[in-house]
Amino acid sequence: MSRHSVRSPWLLHFNAGSCNGCDVEILACLAPKYDIERFGIVNTGNPIQADILLITGPITKRARERVVELYVQMPEPKVVIAVGACACTGGVFRGMYNVENGVDSFIPVDVYIPGCSAHPEQIIDGVVKSLGILAGKNKEMEFPTQLRGPVTIDRGQVDRRGLAGSVASLEKGCTNRGTEN
Amino acid sequence: MSRTYVIPLGAQHVSLLEPIRFLFTVENERIASVEADIGFVHRGIELACATKFKFKQVPYVVARVCGLCAVVHSTAYVTAVERLMKIETTRRTKWLRIVANELDRIQSHFIALGHTSECAGFEALFMACMKDRETALELTEAFTGNRMQFDYVNIGGVNRDLTPEMALLMKKKLSLLKNRVNDLQELFMSNWSLSLKYKGIGVVSLEDAQRFNATGPIARASGLATDLRVEADMLPYGDVGFELALETAGDIHSRNVVRLRELANSIRMIENILDGLPVGDIEVPVKGNPDGDAISHIEAPRGQCIYMVRGNMTSTLDRVKIQAPTFANIPVIVNAFVGEEYGNAPPILASFDPCLSCTAR
Repeated sequence: MSRHSVRSPWLLHFNAGSCNGCDVEILACLAPKYDIERFGIVNTGNPIQADILLITGPITKRARERVVELYVQMPEPKVVIAVGACACTGGVFRGMYNVENGVDSFIPVDVYIPGCSAHPEQIIDGVVKSLGILAGKNKEMEFPTQLRGPVTIDRGQVDRRGLAGSVASLEKGCTNRGTEN
Repeated sequence: MSRTYVIPLGAQHVSLLEPIRFLFTVENERIASVEADIGFVHRGIELACATKFKFKQVPYVVARVCGLCAVVHSTAYVTAVERLMKIETTRRTKWLRIVANELDRIQSHFIALGHTSECAGFEALFMACMKDRETALELTEAFTGNRMQFDYVNIGGVNRDLTPEMALLMKKKLSLLKNRVNDLQELFMSNWSLSLKYKGIGVVSLEDAQRFNATGPIARASGLATDLRVEADMLPYGDVGFELALETAGDIHSRNVVRLRELANSIRMIENILDGLPVGDIEVPVKGNPDGDAISHIEAPRGQCIYMVRGNMTSTLDRVKIQAPTFANIPVIVNAFVGEEYGNAPPILASFDPCLSCTAR
C-alpha cells in the first residue's frame, strides 16, 4: 500500500488564513511549467483519498477546527507540509489577535517550507522530501496535538470525525487528550 | 412537486482556492436562496497596522492582505501616506508603479480566466492560461525580484530601478504574450462548448450592478462604466494609453471578454511605458511623521480598493481602514446565484473571481 501511495500520492490543499500567495504558487506547481504531476501527484479535494496535506496560512481562529477535522479524516500513513513563512511560524501575522501562530500548534508537521511566498521550486522540493517520510511511516494512528477528541470504536471502525475535539474545550483552556488504544 | 435541499459548498472544496462557505437552498436543481460566510481568513491586519508596526513597515504588511493583488494594496497605502506627508514623487516612480500594478493585473486575470474554464470542465484551457501566466510571472521576477509578494513600492518611491536590458527583455516577452492573448481571445469568443457554459449564465443586469454597487470587471461586464484608473488621479493612467473595456451582457462570457480586453490593454500600457519612461530618481527622501486623514483609491484587478489612513504625529498610525473590492461585490455575487442551476455554481463563482483574504483581512 505504501509503495503505491509513494509512487502516486494524492494531495489535499487547505488555505488556513493565508494571503493567497502560496496558494497560487501551489496552483502554479500543478500547471505546465513546474508540473508536479510528473511525480504522479494528483490534486484532490477529498481528505479521505489524500496522502499529503498542504497547509498555507497561520491558522486563523475560524480555520483551526477545519484544519484539525481535515487532518483526522485523512487515513494513515499521511504527511503534513506547512507551506510559507506564516504556516511555519505565523510569519508577519504572528501575534495578531485572530491568529494561532503556525500549523504545528494544532497538528504535527513533517516538512516546513519557508519563504514569503514559497517558490514553486521550494514547494516541489518539500513535497519530494515528504515522499521519503511517507515511505518510512507505518499505519500507526496519528493525532492532533490540540483540539483532540476521544477515540471511539463504531462497528469495528474508529470514528474518525470524533477524533477532532470541540472548540469549546479549547476555549476553556483544557485540551481533551482522549484515551489511546 | 418540488423538494428543497440545503447544500453547503465550502469551507474546503476542490473548486475553491480559498475558504468561503455558501449554503445553497436548492429546489429541483434551481438555486432558491444563498447564504455566504466570508470570515474564515480574518487575521486582524487593520489593528496590527495601527499598533504593532511603524508606518514605514506597513506597506509590506498590507501587501500580505492579499497575495494576488499585493502591490495594489501597497500602492494604495503608500499613496495615502504620501498625500498626508505632502511628498511629491517623481514621474519615473509613478510610471514604474503602473508597470508593477499592470503586471500584477495580468497574472491575476490569467488566474481568473483559467479558473473559470477549469470550473466549466475545460482543463486544457486552464493549463494554457497558467502557462501564459508564467510569462507574466517571469517578467515580474526579473522586474521586482520575486514572483509573488514582491514588495516593490515603499513610501516616497520604488525599491528597484528598471535597467535597459530588463526593458528589452520585457518588450520581447510582452510581444509573445500579446499573440497568446489574441489566441485566447479568439478561443474564448468562438468556442462552442464554452459558450454553452458561459453565455446567458450568471447574469448581472445593469440595474443590479448599480443597485448593489458592483465594481471592477463585474460592473464593466454589465455595462456600468466605472474604473478608478480614469476616475481617480492616484497614478497617471491617462498618459500611458488606458482604454476602458466595456461589455453589456453581464454573463460569464462577457466577464471573461472584459478580462481579456483588459489584459491586451495592460500589455499595451506597459509597452508604452517602456517606450517613453521618464528619466529621474526612483526615490525621494521621507522625513517626519504623518498627521491627519487621507484617502486613496486604486483600481485593483477585482475592482476598487480604498484606503483610509489617519496619522497622529508619531511613527505609529491611528487607523488604517481597508475597503477591498470583493467586499463590495459580495451582495451582487450572492444575488447572481439565485435562479441558476446548482451545477453552474462553481463557474459562476469562479467568474466573479472572489478574493477572500482581501475581504476578511
